[in-house]
Amino acid sequence: MDAAVRQNQTSEVFSNYQIPPTFLDEVFRAPGQVHPHYEAVYRQFLEFTKDEFKELNEHAKMSFFNQGITFSVYSDKAKGVERIFPFDLFPRIIPAAEWAKVEEGILQRCVAMNLFIQDIYSNQHILKDKVVPAELIFSSKNYLKAMLDIKPVGGIYNHISGTDLIKHSDGEYYVLEDNLRCPSGISYVLSNRVAMKRTLFQMFRQFNVQTVQEYPQELLATMQSVAPNGIDAPTCVVLTPGVYNSAYFEHAFLALTMGVPLVEGRDLYVDKNFVYMKTINGPKRVDVVYRRLDDDFLDPMAFKPDSMLGVPGIMAAYKKGNVNLINAPGTGFADDKAVYTYVPDIIKYYLQQEPILNNVHTYRCEKDDDFQYVLENMDKLVIKPVDESGGYGILIGSKASKEELSEFKNLVTENRRKYIAQPIMNLSMHATFIEGEDQFEPRHVDLRSFTLLGKDRQFVLKGGLSRVALKKGSLIVNSSQGGGSKDTWVMAEDGAGMSMKQSGSLEQSMTMNGETMTMGPQGMSMGTQGGIAEGKGI
Amino acid sequence: MKTEYEVVYRTHNTYAENVREAFFSFLILPCENESQVVRNVTMTNSLDAEVFQHTNPFGFEVTNLYSVEPFTEFEFQMRAIVEKSVMPFPLEDTLPVEEEQRLLHDHSFYLENHLYLGFDHYTRIKEAYRPKLLMRQPNQGVYEYLQQLNNFIFDLLEFDPEPTHVCTSANEVLKLGRGVCQDYTHIFIGVARLNKIPCRYVSGYLNQGLELAGSAVMHAWAEAYIPGFGWQGFDPTNNLLADAHYLKAAHGSDYSDCSPIKGTLKTNGKQKTNYGVQVTPLQGAENIPQPVQTSVQA
Repeated sequence: MDAAVRQNQTSEVFSNYQIPPTFLDEVFRAPGQVHPHYEAVYRQFLEFTKDEFKELNEHAKMSFFNQGITFSVYSDKAKGVERIFPFDLFPRIIPAAEWAKVEEGILQRCVAMNLFIQDIYSNQHILKDKVVPAELIFSSKNYLKAMLDIKPVGGIYNHISGTDLIKHSDGEYYVLEDNLRCPSGISYVLSNRVAMKRTLFQMFRQFNVQTVQEYPQELLATMQSVAPNGIDAPTCVVLTPGVYNSAYFEHAFLALTMGVPLVEGRDLYVDKNFVYMKTINGPKRVDVVYRRLDDDFLDPMAFKPDSMLGVPGIMAAYKKGNVNLINAPGTGFADDKAVYTYVPDIIKYYLQQEPILNNVHTYRCEKDDDFQYVLENMDKLVIKPVDESGGYGILIGSKASKEELSEFKNLVTENRRKYIAQPIMNLSMHATFIEGEDQFEPRHVDLRSFTLLGKDRQFVLKGGLSRVALKKGSLIVNSSQGGGSKDTWVMAEDGAGMSMKQSGSLEQSMTMNGETMTMGPQGMSMGTQGGIAEGKGI
Repeated sequence: MKTEYEVVYRTHNTYAENVREAFFSFLILPCENESQVVRNVTMTNSLDAEVFQHTNPFGFEVTNLYSVEPFTEFEFQMRAIVEKSVMPFPLEDTLPVEEEQRLLHDHSFYLENHLYLGFDHYTRIKEAYRPKLLMRQPNQGVYEYLQQLNNFIFDLLEFDPEPTHVCTSANEVLKLGRGVCQDYTHIFIGVARLNKIPCRYVSGYLNQGLELAGSAVMHAWAEAYIPGFGWQGFDPTNNLLADAHYLKAAHGSDYSDCSPIKGTLKTNGKQKTNYGVQVTPLQGAENIPQPVQTSVQA
């Protein structure tokens, strides 16, 4: 078929696309015109007919179904229902230069948070200097006295951080949340990439996209780097609460891809302050535990006494330095949404640097004038409980009914420390294939990044999980609240990227990272166009 | 002047079904401090499991044991000699009231003592109960106030082991008007903290033979910080100051930091627990002054 005819026919998946007037559209800058870094992908997508796209979409869904990548939702109606995480084929693309700044900002934030947690559990300088109010920390249910004076190996507390970012209508990235309590979602990042390659390999291979599949090995190396002193070949495990946990798939996935045992609390025990795993060959000492278990359940001797999921005595073994826990218990006071307000000050305090990433202005209901403002302007704000995650218990003022607003006013008044409010942020929108409509429509997206801190090593995953609010107009992207996700492409290099072209009949050339390799009757030659590129190889 | 006591802690548990796996933690050892020296500690258990120790967040030694040998009966015993010296009471040398208050409101003092100034499940007192409780008068010294508070709580509650259990909060006790040493102590702590006085929960042993409430099992009392003097023990259950008859095991923010025994067991049936303590004065006991009843000064 003639290319022009094809294009006319197929652009129907984009023909009704309405560029949102008040939000930033990451793909389109004008009708039919995309931002330069989307140009190549958009041109490829125009090649597909509507039916072809539907088929590809089904294909991608099957890929998840066949891999068993599901999650379950904790809510009254749909308790225990296994769902497939909706995946969208249109990748979100982040140019290399843009990502470089984001990555620097995320790392700065995670490093500062680690210093903050360390300080709070040792000298509390930041409280003495009144940079952060002491009451705010001490009143957090995630501030654990059991962690006071514990010195984890390598001085790392938040080994794994999942910083949530959004792109505002001003084109800037803002941090929404610092998730420092074993954040989830990484298995979707890796599975999305697999699904993308399976579905659109011919397209994918033409782009020089930063890889993500090294994450499990980076995580394992991070765990090994903080093994107890004197252990050369540490035994690492993933500790899961069990098959009923909503993220069980991810626990199994990580254990499998790291090549370490997946254990439940009952598989471990503590004797003489060492942790052992029960194996068919007898007890085996465990050195590093990546625990996907909340602090409360970790050790019935130290926390919730009736926890059957944890390992009795593991906190004592940890305090003695005989085992390391990832993340450290008690990091939750630092990702408390009321502490969030102070993160820019925390960064300045510990690093003597200006924060690279923006913070969203936050009203703490605990403060009298903030509280008053929140009550008067609730319809323009997002109200969030400070210590929940997964998008539970949130009110979006502009979308709430009168009853919901008055109910929240009561909730906030009853427990002011528990709530914060933020202006409704204009999350950027991204073209997303909508089933049923069978066309692309703009939907809100955010980005969960993944950062690993180990002893003398740091790693930020290139990209992360772009979560999409599939419901029209919805701002809540959490998987538990009807969100989907996209593969996120961080480009290895902006501009040229990689392209292949056939010039004439006999010569074929491939340009990658600015280097051109030409194959033809004269043999093979390599050369650089316009200087040597600094981007990393593929 | 010193007194020696022999302290014996013994627990005997029986289980209807085999216990297949067990982890026990004991926080029962008398601690060492400026008024206590502990010697000749022996611990035995019916499983012959080797015990191992760690220090808890407050620096007290916890004794643990783990067993995979099946059992239906478990006995644990700790025996120690405690040499107790008589402690001075903060009588004349207390600071002027303004000086005390300046210290109590100092920011770094607050940070150092924050674990003993917060409110949690056990120690939070509802607004509604506060008016009927005794608060410090503006010109009153901390020590004098705490003695009155001790007396006040002693009068407020009736000793009764029936209605309360280990999880009962101060609010529930105030509603009931009765309880045991743990409950008296939590209310004392809660009220002291409302007055910005750091106050901590103490568990330990009481000299038997004085026929005081709470001496047959482990006892609980409070320690409050008196500016310019230090920590002083108050026993609201008996309306006494903690003196040479009080042998301390551990302290913490509240009961949850001091529970003498914790355990996780894999078993199906029910269990029966039988535990008791013996505190026997060995020598010098005849020299200890009789306990000091805190008196209310008008």
